Amino acid sequence: MLQAAQTRTDVLISQSLAGLRRAKLWMLLTLSLLMICSVSPVLAVPSFATQTGQSCVACHAGGQYPELTPYGRIFKLTGYTSGERSTPLAAMVVADYTTTQNPNDPNVKLDKSGIVNTISVFLAGKVSDNIGGFAQYTHTLHDTQDTSLNWIGHTGADNFDLRYADRTIDANKDLIWGITLNNNPSVQDVWNSAPAWSHPYLTPTQTYGLPASTLVEGALAQQVAGVGAYAFLNQSFYAEITSYQTAKDALSFLSYGNNAGNPDHPLTSLDGNALYWRAAYTKAWNASNMMVGAFGLDAKVQPLDGSSMPVSNIGSTHYKDVGIDAQYQYLLSPHTVTAQLRALSETIDDATGLAYSDGAATLKTLLAKASYVYQDRYGTSLSYRTVSGSADTTAYAASSSLVPDSEVWTTEFFWLARQNVRLGLQFNLFSRYLGASSNYDGAGRNASDNNNAYVYLWAAF
Amino acid sequence: MKAWTNIWTPGLLAFALAALTGCANPPSSRNVNDPQASGKSLAVQVCSTCHGMTGESISPMFPKLAGQQREYLLAQLADFKGHERSDSRGVQYMWGFTHLSAKQVDELADYFSGQTPMQAVAAGDADLARGKALFEGGVPDKGVVQCTACHGPNGEGNGSFPRLAGQHPAYVLEQIKVFQLTDLRPRGAPMKQVTHALADSDAQAIAQYVGTIGFRP
Repeated sequence: MLQAAQTRTDVLISQSLAGLRRAKLWMLLTLSLLMICSVSPVLAVPSFATQTGQSCVACHAGGQYPELTPYGRIFKLTGYTSGERSTPLAAMVVADYTTTQNPNDPNVKLDKSGIVNTISVFLAGKVSDNIGGFAQYTHTLHDTQDTSLNWIGHTGADNFDLRYADRTIDANKDLIWGITLNNNPSVQDVWNSAPAWSHPYLTPTQTYGLPASTLVEGALAQQVAGVGAYAFLNQSFYAEITSYQTAKDALSFLSYGNNAGNPDHPLTSLDGNALYWRAAYTKAWNASNMMVGAFGLDAKVQPLDGSSMPVSNIGSTHYKDVGIDAQYQYLLSPHTVTAQLRALSETIDDATGLAYSDGAATLKTLLAKASYVYQDRYGTSLSYRTVSGSADTTAYAASSSLVPDSEVWTTEFFWLARQNVRLGLQFNLFSRYLGASSNYDGAGRNASDNNNAYVYLWAAF
Repeated sequence: MKAWTNIWTPGLLAFALAALTGCANPPSSRNVNDPQASGKSLAVQVCSTCHGMTGESISPMFPKLAGQQREYLLAQLADFKGHERSDSRGVQYMWGFTHLSAKQVDELADYFSGQTPMQAVAAGDADLARGKALFEGGVPDKGVVQCTACHGPNGEGNGSFPRLAGQHPAYVLEQIKVFQLTDLRPRGAPMKQVTHALADSDAQAIAQYVGTIGFRP
């Protein structure tokens, strides 16, 4: 909300800051264009490519990072240890522009503004023949606003996965096994139906997305620390168990940026340990490969008080997630076809009554997506996502029918100008939002008002 | 808190697994730039991911290496290492292997050339008669020499001329086009001459045919 009396100086400052932000964006776009057009190779390459000496498309299907090829999956499962240890530094920048169909809404900000959205630094690669991983830290330039509506940035831990892994292989058996320390349930997964790695890979911030999701779909990302063990037998059977706890004390580097007491970035506190499990069967034939699998998460989340501190003596909200997923890939140059399917079912038992006040609750989500990439350069994706759940007065107070039920179609077109630079155009079309296609909030907002178009530039160095 | 959900229990399970499998002491280096790593270790830990444990690759994106001519394998590894072979797939996957020692290259060539030769597939509905006729007779009036002249009467190869029998048809066709339309495989200069006047449909027929040579039901 704008202050009632804004001084002329404030206006001038915010205008020049806006000018500076636009200048930063233009500098970034110009730099990117120079990179795209330059004849000589980019001097700095993402560290996995340097380590292996291989092109990005060796591991990333059709070049569409973060999608993985069978070779990329093995690289990750063997602990990121293929190749020679090299300088493990890499960086990533996302710049974007979003326009929402009806932006006259407090939840829509930075509409029609080109911005540098995030800058990330990675420490990623091989430590030894058996140890490797990646650690990402991200600075978000437009995180929160102060009372004068100036944007404040935020730096925090992003995905982290450190592994010890090995592979024993002979003519009769191929066993890859390992242990992982990570900070996001499913970040350790190697299929792009896993919540941490599924489409859409980039989404507009500061506008509407799906209004609810199951806990495993990101709520614990960079909040928890997990140690897990996994095995992949004969490139057919995968099994994993990982146990998570709140990332605090010695493990707080995994939740850096999220702190108990911080109202904008509180630390989610688990009651005890949360168990994550995953099983999958994979098969490859000719140019195709497929996976069918299941996974689950059982976690108790403690409530936070008015000071964003965890409360440990009034019970917790118990989430039980069970999901089934599948992936198919057809990889034969110049064509890449990938498809993912995921269905999640959650039961929520809130002993505190603070998150869900109407008793035991359920939530279901669905993702169906297909992509096609031509010559590892020109690609398109189409996905359909839904969320539906039992009614609850507290959880879905913003819905006039008190349910989360929403559906969004996402279509995307992208161009890999270089293997490490992707330009994309994404449309998110909501056919239903919080239980209705029209007037879902009782104040006249329609699902289609949340439709948005999103242009992004995603570059890795 | 149940003890079995303790964060460290999976770690202990993993170490138990390590203790059980560690006794076998198989080759396990994945460092392609370590001259101490044996060629066999690199073959099973790295190359097998795309080319198969015994050189029988599943995907036609990656050629079968099982029973390939040793001299041909030595030449291709040298050309990838020296960045002289620059077809797209080769660049994307194989240009990283720049530090293989002569001994490792020898051992890799030994490993794959010593495997049971690549298995042919059943004919399907391809027109094999035409492919066979072209493979064995060429197209004399267009200057297309018969393939058997260099690749052997049964496509088994000969020294620096690769085995074709049992190779993925899609891979063979892709390489024919590389030879015909580009200069990305300079060592294959003779192939440029041979394929110069080869029609697309003929190239497809040959590629389909070689994939079935030697098939035993």
